[in-house]
Amino acid sequence: MSQSTAALLGGLVLLLPLAGSALCGLLGPVLGRRFVNLAGTLSIAGAFAATLVIFVQVLGAASGHQSVTATLWNWLNLGSGNLNISVDVTLDQLSVLMLLVITGVGLLIHVYSVGYMEHDPGVARFFSYMNLFIFSMALLVLAANLVILIIGWAAVALSSYLLIGFWYERESAVLAARKAMITQVIGDVALVIAAFLIFVNLNAAPRCPADQSCAGIPQALHTLSLPQIFAHAASLGAGSPLITLICILLAVGAFAKSAQFPLHTWLPDAMEGPTPVSALIHAATMVTAGVYLIARFHVLFAMAPIASGMVACVGMGTAVMAGFIALSQQDIKRVIAYSTMSQIGLMIFAVGIGAYAAGMYQFLLHAFFKALLFLAAGNVIHAVHDEQDIREMGGLDRRMRVTAWSFLIGSLALAGFLFAGMFSKEDLLGFGLLNGPGAPALYIVGIVVNVLTGLYAFRLYGTAFSGQPRSDAARDAHEARAVMLWPVVILAGLSAVAGWALQWPVAFGPHLIDAFLGPVFSSAPVATAPGTGLGLLGFGIGVACSLVGIGVASLIWIRHGFDLSRLLALPGVRLVVRLSRNKLYFDELYDLLLVRPTRALSRGLRRAGEPVMDSPIRGISWIASDFSGIFRAVQTGLIRDYASYMVFFAVAFTVAVMIAAGLVR
Amino acid sequence: MLSQAMFPWILLTAAFLFSLGALGVLVRRNPLVVFMSIELMLNAVNLALVGYSSFLDSEEGQVFAFMVIVVAAAEVVVGLGLLTRVFSIGRELDVDDLDEMKR
Repeated sequence: MSQSTAALLGGLVLLLPLAGSALCGLLGPVLGRRFVNLAGTLSIAGAFAATLVIFVQVLGAASGHQSVTATLWNWLNLGSGNLNISVDVTLDQLSVLMLLVITGVGLLIHVYSVGYMEHDPGVARFFSYMNLFIFSMALLVLAANLVILIIGWAAVALSSYLLIGFWYERESAVLAARKAMITQVIGDVALVIAAFLIFVNLNAAPRCPADQSCAGIPQALHTLSLPQIFAHAASLGAGSPLITLICILLAVGAFAKSAQFPLHTWLPDAMEGPTPVSALIHAATMVTAGVYLIARFHVLFAMAPIASGMVACVGMGTAVMAGFIALSQQDIKRVIAYSTMSQIGLMIFAVGIGAYAAGMYQFLLHAFFKALLFLAAGNVIHAVHDEQDIREMGGLDRRMRVTAWSFLIGSLALAGFLFAGMFSKEDLLGFGLLNGPGAPALYIVGIVVNVLTGLYAFRLYGTAFSGQPRSDAARDAHEARAVMLWPVVILAGLSAVAGWALQWPVAFGPHLIDAFLGPVFSSAPVATAPGTGLGLLGFGIGVACSLVGIGVASLIWIRHGFDLSRLLALPGVRLVVRLSRNKLYFDELYDLLLVRPTRALSRGLRRAGEPVMDSPIRGISWIASDFSGIFRAVQTGLIRDYASYMVFFAVAFTVAVMIAAGLVR
Repeated sequence: MLSQAMFPWILLTAAFLFSLGALGVLVRRNPLVVFMSIELMLNAVNLALVGYSSFLDSEEGQVFAFMVIVVAAAEVVVGLGLLTRVFSIGRELDVDDLDEMKR
């Protein structure tokens, strides 16, 4: 692929959604719903087509030439050795894989949205924001310059904010949007500081002694171009405190975007947005941007083992924590949101231990089955008249057959049996056997996550779909229309087939993802894969644990073969359930530690600081008003007064002239 | 032709008349009297102009004196028009009473 082709195709992928966003936003309210539906989905279809062309080009390129970086235009140039920012796009295997999911799954979700938003008056705004999101996300993954990446990074947060708060007349939606934005900004700041550190220190000259000339020593590069950063990464010093700090800052940015502990609290609240938004942004694409970031910066992370170990631990810790919380949530979307958090935790774990391809594989399959679960949940929510509490559902499997079967496939894929999750999750867990801090400690935590995943996935399926309906709305539920069903069915098909076709988590079978992504990660030491025997053992244990979870959940919530209430009445269990139901009290903790002190501080500053800050200004205005009072008194409104001023000043002037002329002494 | 020696007296007379007019403008409250005082001031100026014209042996001063008479006539027309309007709306003719500009 030549540079100009790359620039053209990359530009198309960026421009089409941006144009779609502008068209829907500006002309949509005038031209109506049909235009918006058409413009909003066709722009994404165009971007998907361009992505497919890129994919074919990258596949067909000779090995070693698959990665092309093309300059769209030079944005900022402050001279050599200074800040230079050109809008570059990198087309390589990693960005193409991301783009395929962003535009492909994005297209399905846009089509679904046509049905889902059918009766919403704000449909033009909705598609405008959705297209803006696709543009931002494409910018983020295509960027070959850290500044452009950060712009995309912030723009996805913006579109996420806009879409969470889409129903702005609901106070909870506005608050959730605000919470998401504030959490994102914490990550943005960390990312920007990391960019500063890289800019200043990349290739920086060693401090030269005072008595020597520094002429021969190379100066700092002062660049933020990603290929250059990776090429000169060694100058940051492997294992040095500096690179550790940079990587930790990058990881904090990734944690904020990917809803990892301790910046995870925004994701469940983000479910206030419309369901297609949850599927696209808060499951399939945006929340995996953190995984992409770490995979993209694998050269740096490979040099910072402490930071990578921290990333792996945080990922796995979040996976367990979110799985635990998901067990007791009653809102269908919140359960899926916590499962997203948990699954992304596994991806973060994978990129933390250096299994980058496995992490991206989990990203790909997770995008399929999580979008599937959300869209199916959207069908359910539509069918039961915007009810999201699973206690009000039940018995939907006979009323919504296609959705129920799709949801079952999604649940199996999520739990990791037969379908997608079995391949990607066991793949990355297998790497945990030999890699990561204290291996295989995190692997053991990972199989606990497997049990939890099976439990909550089938608790959700069993409670919502099986048994008898528990409300009138659930009794009258009916299947969704074709436009909302086909995307679900396609995603169900992808979830069922993709794992079998792409990559098996054992030594034999296809390994297409490893082969495809391998060249991208070849420059850094990659995690060692377990051998055939150990791999099979790990795979067996993992699937067995998933099955235990699925089986126990089916026994309790589908077959009702076990009465939970006796167990739940035990005092220790009750405490655990309360912890889970209240999300481990993180919101309350943050409220106590951060929100209240900040509020108290600002209130105190207002009370104490306002008089101090305002007194000079008050003084100035007071002087002005009183001083002008003197002149105001002159204006009496009486003609005789004015006449006497005239006479007085005429006489005074005459006398002054006479004195000046020397006539009066 | 006036004698040169009379010229200071002419100027002094003009100054006296002017001051008298100014005093009238300042102290009288009836607008009609104020107008008459203004006329007195204008005529004092005319006297000074004619005196200078004679003293300097030039016609320009006399031309200006005619100019002042014309302007004074025009001003009286406007002023008297204003006064009749004020009177017709039932207001007392008192310059101190007409202070709407301030309020």
